Amino acid sequence: MREITVTHVVVVTLAATFVLLGLDRAGELRPNRPADVPPAAKPAPVAAPAHDPDKGKPPPHNDRPEDLPDGKGRDVTFYTCTACHGVALIKAQGLTRELWDSTFDLMLEKHRMPPVPAAERGEILDYLAATFPPRRRGRGDDNPFK
Amino acid sequence: MASRRNVLKGVGMATIGASLPISGVLAQNAPAAASAAKAPKLLEMEGKAKLAVLGDRPLVAETQAALMDDDVTPTDKLFVRNNGQVPEATRDPKAWKIKVDGEVNTPLDITLGDLVSRFPNVTYQLVLECGGNGRSFFEPEARGNQWTNGGVGCPQWTGVRLADVLKAAGLKSSAVYTGHYGADPTLAGETDKPTISRGMPIKKAMDEHTLIAFKLNGQDLPLIHGAPVRLIVPGWAGSLSTKWLTRIWIRDKEHDGPGMGGFSYRTPKKPIVPGSKGDEKDMAILESMPVRSVITFPADGTKLAAGTRKLDLRGNAWAGDWDIKTVDISIDAGKTWKSAKVNPPANKFAWQRFTASVDLPSSGYYEVWSRATDSNGVTQPFQATNWNPQGYGANPISRIRVLVES
Repeated sequence: MREITVTHVVVVTLAATFVLLGLDRAGELRPNRPADVPPAAKPAPVAAPAHDPDKGKPPPHNDRPEDLPDGKGRDVTFYTCTACHGVALIKAQGLTRELWDSTFDLMLEKHRMPPVPAAERGEILDYLAATFPPRRRGRGDDNPFK
Repeated sequence: MASRRNVLKGVGMATIGASLPISGVLAQNAPAAASAAKAPKLLEMEGKAKLAVLGDRPLVAETQAALMDDDVTPTDKLFVRNNGQVPEATRDPKAWKIKVDGEVNTPLDITLGDLVSRFPNVTYQLVLECGGNGRSFFEPEARGNQWTNGGVGCPQWTGVRLADVLKAAGLKSSAVYTGHYGADPTLAGETDKPTISRGMPIKKAMDEHTLIAFKLNGQDLPLIHGAPVRLIVPGWAGSLSTKWLTRIWIRDKEHDGPGMGGFSYRTPKKPIVPGSKGDEKDMAILESMPVRSVITFPADGTKLAAGTRKLDLRGNAWAGDWDIKTVDISIDAGKTWKSAKVNPPANKFAWQRFTASVDLPSSGYYEVWSRATDSNGVTQPFQATNWNPQGYGANPISRIRVLVES
């Protein structure tokens, strides 16, 4: 029986890694995912307690497209909106298409969102208006003036 | 006689997200309270209590009513509102620079160390409240973080008076407004542009309770609350209380930084149809926050032991620039009211604790409402009113729900 050498282990490990990365079409295993890059882990302090500029920051947070309800336009919505903010903020809203449209303007004009092509904007608005319409049906629900 | 602990069962299991709106109370088909539909995600962060997370990026978390049951808000229970990213912690807080410029005779470029030693240090218990507090009570939804009543706290702040600093800089007669800047990067990660920059009239800046603060409950500010130094502008929208403060620009006109225009921190001058787009021209800046009360004990969803016929409750009430005159309690949707005992504030701009003992005539389900009235005689409405696209000023009567077991 042949001995398993260090070289064998290294070759097998490398091969397995390449296969995994090759199969990893969603990019789960690769760094630098487009929507959100968590801060790099800091090396452990070696001597006296070093200054840690990240101490006291909130824990990093990553969302995935699947965190939004399925629907046409979900992915473009995800990547456009989560360049800046998390999906929890999107999911908490309940707006008409008109108010989603003005929300888009708000992001462009006040929050320096990069310009979005018109067709893409339409697709995102369709998704948002269909997925997150007004849900609270109070006395205003049958308002005679709307 | 049963002790309070024995009488109140299941406080720990109570619905979080308490102090719900009396939403749809006058409607034919009263809807379920939207914000209570499911349990909120709880914050997991060193130094912070398990607050209800409204958003993870940026981190926004509110203090559930049952966690608000303190005279002085402990640091771990103070709500969190960020507009951008949290900047890196400074290595040398004393060397942190704050600039005061614009319409002043002697612009200042002062380190935090010098600021602390040069001006009198004062400590007050001051309400800090998010401008959007109560937004979730609007019907239909208004845009933004869906706060219940938990975007508020009243801890002790130590700092120097902004008025003393502005007097040292010497305000010119042209000075009418402030503009505030902090070190937080934008959500996109930019550090050369302000994430948000709001301001206030000089009169509010000169109020003796408006502070450049460096301590929270006697300790250095935690990073998440603005370390090493921030503004505290009590009673007005929290966005004025700039964290990680770097600059106060004295303006000769109303400030025009991000967060000052459009529908941001503004309410309609004339009421608009709920859910409509509105017109920016018809909006006015929100200054003092409105009157509000929260029952902090017992928790919403508490089951009371069979035979319980009396409920001792307590809570907090506050009203922006004003004091609380009265708090009234109802267990029958406003048919009858009973006065609560209201304590005086620790100082101006501190919230006021109230207590009441209400009789429960039988077993069964009760909504217990609290309604505060401020020193101008303005009271909390039955439902959120003056709807606006970004949802400011919602302060309806708040409630808890309890069940007396048979």
